Order: sequence, then structure tokens, then C-alpha cells
Amino acid sequence: MRVAVIGLDCAAPDLIFNKLKGDLPVLSRMTSEGISGKLRSSDPPITVPAWMVMSTGRSPGELGLYGFRSRIPNSYNGIKIPTSSDIKFDTVWDILGKRNKKSIIIAVPPSYPPKPIPGLMVSDFLTPGKDKEFTYPPGLKNEILRDFPDYQFDVKFRKPEKKQIIDEIYKMTDTRFKMAEKMLKEKEWDFFFMVEIGIDRIHHAFWRYIDQESHLYEDDKEMRGKFISYFKMVDTHIGKMLDEFDEDTVVLVVSDHGAKHMKGAFAINQWLIKEGYLKLKSPIKKAGVSLEDLDVDWAHTKAWAWGGYYARVFLNIKGREPEGLIEKGNVRSELETLKEKLKSIKGPHGEQWNTKVFEPEEVYPVVNGDRSDLFVYLDDLSWRTAGTLGYDTDYLLENDTGPDDAVHDYDGIYIMYRKNKKIGKVIDSNIYRIAPTILELYRVRKKYGIKGEPLEGTEYVE
Amino acid sequence: MATDKKYTTVSLPTPLFEKIQEKIKGTGFTSVSDYVTFVLREILTHGSEQEAFNAEDEKKVKDRLRSLGYLD
Repeated sequence: MRVAVIGLDCAAPDLIFNKLKGDLPVLSRMTSEGISGKLRSSDPPITVPAWMVMSTGRSPGELGLYGFRSRIPNSYNGIKIPTSSDIKFDTVWDILGKRNKKSIIIAVPPSYPPKPIPGLMVSDFLTPGKDKEFTYPPGLKNEILRDFPDYQFDVKFRKPEKKQIIDEIYKMTDTRFKMAEKMLKEKEWDFFFMVEIGIDRIHHAFWRYIDQESHLYEDDKEMRGKFISYFKMVDTHIGKMLDEFDEDTVVLVVSDHGAKHMKGAFAINQWLIKEGYLKLKSPIKKAGVSLEDLDVDWAHTKAWAWGGYYARVFLNIKGREPEGLIEKGNVRSELETLKEKLKSIKGPHGEQWNTKVFEPEEVYPVVNGDRSDLFVYLDDLSWRTAGTLGYDTDYLLENDTGPDDAVHDYDGIYIMYRKNKKIGKVIDSNIYRIAPTILELYRVRKKYGIKGEPLEGTEYVE
Repeated sequence: MATDKKYTTVSLPTPLFEKIQEKIKGTGFTSVSDYVTFVLREILTHGSEQEAFNAEDEKKVKDRLRSLGYLD
């Protein structure tokens, strides 16, 4: 028995199972013959940490990984970008490696610098550049660049040249799949796991062409056609991989989170200033400036925030932060008051928002690493947050860091499929079940003692 | 104690040992041990340089993440 995981970053259930179904013959067949459904992501539903939750079965709290940056403990502006060295728990390929199983691991975030494994590893889109050692073993890099000189880790999509961007994303994804297919054909492997980031980029840059509910919707046949062609290309590549797999290979197509149209970006630090939580020493001179570039009056500041697809709010606590203001005994009441205020933020036209605010301890059994005091999903993630300031309004209809059409949604997808097994079940599940499923299929789940249960119906593909 | 000795023994599968013996014939390596030590040193040095980002790498990745909208 072998397992092959094909990760499509940000693949959304409504697109794959519904809107594009007729355009994707391979994925549709896998769905109708296998077991599939929505896959509830982690909290937060963000690429980092979600892929590592999937790979380790651990929560973001245990991993101490809450997004694309971690705070240097107790500092105001110190941030660190997570690397593979920050993953302190065994991934499924580490566990299988200890049992002499060889893996091919491609672009699973965060995987730079690549770690030695029995098998092959290519690092992810957080790799600084092609001049770096991005493979294990190091010699694999030359082989990749010889066969695929145009190999790309990622593209920049926040620019106005839409046609050029979609062509770049297409080429990047097509090349990565070709490389993966070559490795599957030529290298020895027992376990395979790749992640394609292009789907996420396509969603962020081109959602306006396929979602009439978006305020940015554009009825542009050519762009819509390009969007669909991209997915058809991905579907064709998955079909080629299926041709390579024998009847003993279980295939999992998964995504780390979903997508929906972005309603706008909310300038949360401006709001914190208005509410009296954040004080500056000098006025803001230009729009779009970062908090770290401003002269913050920390001694009189109670809270500040980081933006992104969700907001992280930090309290300035005496004895914890360098110029902490809130007395330890008042932290609880300050948290409760701020939570209520955040939840009562209304939309630009006074409309009610469904904002979710929670403390890490409320969702994770264990909380490691430096985490923010509050996590905020504005209007149920439909509004992203801008940490930047200096705008005339708190409500920005475009993203503060360049064009963006989509935000993240809680549900990704999964399809579990094995050749010649006709199952045809739809069972919604969650991301914590993927690592136990993989280990169960190799019959090592109980021996390893991983928490969590395999996907319902795993027994049908065994 | 092993740590007091200058050298210690590791086991290699015999076919691999023989392959290496064949490979180093006529090269500067006088023994399989010499060759294996050389290769392992190379790999481990690579590994330690790879611990995490250097300042320049981190800036590159931060700029990219900012332009992707993950940091702001």
C-alpha cells in the first residue's frame, strides 16, 4: 500500500464539487468513485499553519505556529518568518521514514531549509531563491534546474497586469506538476506529498471573474476562460498521475482552506486609535504606512494589531512588554471589553457583521510559542484586516497591499480515491484527520500513538 | 568511552561497502572510511549552513509575504 497526497492550496468545495465540475473530468470521477467532502481547516485557516496541521495531526497551538509570522517574544516590532526548523513534531513522512519508507515531498509549507529524509524533498514557496539549497539531497537541485530551468516557487500576483499574471501562474503550476510526474516515474518512493500554491494565487488574483456576488465582479469571458483553463490543466495533470499509480495506491486530493470573495479590508489599527487603545507620538503623514514605521507612544498604548486574512491583537501588559501599560490584574477585564468592542464593529453602511473573536486558549488544548492575545475573524473572514494606517476611512474596498479578490474560507476539500474501488460517498470532515488517515493506511497509526481519528470510510479504501 | 577514542566503527551494508570500494579505485581516497568521512562531512557542513534564513534571505521572504498580503 502506498499513499499519494496531492495538495491544492486554497481549493474551494463550491468550485471543485459544483461550479467547475463539468470542466474537471478527472476530479469528478475521483469524487463520484471515492469518498469526498468539505475539509474544515485549522484555526486560523491559513496556509501556514494549516499544511503542518495536516502533516503532523497537531494543532497550531501545539506547533506554536499561528501564521506567516511569529512575534519575537514580548517585542513590539520583532517578527520571525517560520522555517522548517520551527516544526518540532514529527511529520507523517518523518514517522514513515523511521520505518524505512521513502518519501517524495514537494513544496509543503514551511519546508525551507529542506530537512534530510529518507527520500527526496523540494522546499516550498518560502524559499528565498533558486540560488539556495532548496532540495534534499542537495544534488537533486541541479537535476531539477537542468530539466526544468523555469521552475518557480511562487509568483507575485498583486499587480495590475492580469493576463500576464495568469500566464505566469499557469506556467509555474504546469512545471511543478511535470517535475512531480517525472519524479514519480523515475524515483523510488513509498509516500508522496506535493502542494501546488498556484490555485491560491489564481483565487486571490482572479476571483472577480467567477463570482457574481463579489463587488469587484467583472463579466470578462476571456479571463473567465483562462481561469477555467487553469483548472483543466491541473485536472489533466492529476489524471496523468493517476495513470502512474497502481491499484495499491490510495490518492488523497486535499486543500488546506477554502476561498470566498473579499468584501474589503478594515484598517484595524486606525480603529484602535479611535477607540483609545493605540497612541502615536506624531501624526501620520501618508496613507498605507505600517505601524512599525510610526512613532508609537507605547507607554500609553493598551493594544495594537497585525493585519492579514485574520487579525492578531496584542495587549501591552506590564511585566511582559517592554513598556507594558495594563496591570496583570486587569488583563481579564480589558480582554473582555475589547472582545465586545471588536464584535460590535459594523460594516461601512452600518450593517451587522458576524465577527468572531477568541483567545488562543479557547480553541487549542495546548498553546506554545508567542501568540497574540486575541484572534479576530472580521465578518466571519469576509473582511480582511489591514494593519497599515493613514486612510480617510477604516473601510478599504481594495486590499491595502495591492489588488486582491478573495479571502480565506474555513472549508477546503478532500477526495480519497483508489483505483477500481467504487465507493461514492460524501462525508464532510476536518483537517486533523488527514495525518491519522495516512498513518492508518500504512498500519502504523496505533503504534505511533497519534491523536485523532482517520477519515470516516478509510476502511473502504484499505 | 567511545568519545575518548579518535575513531569509531559504523556499519554499512556489504553491497554498499563493495560499491564504494569499486568507486574509489584509482582515486585519491585510500580507503572506504576516508571516502565515507569526506562525503558525510560535506553533507553535514551543508546542513549547518542551512539552519534557517540569514538576514538577507529573511528580508527577501518578508518582502514577498508583504506583497502577497500576509504581512501588513
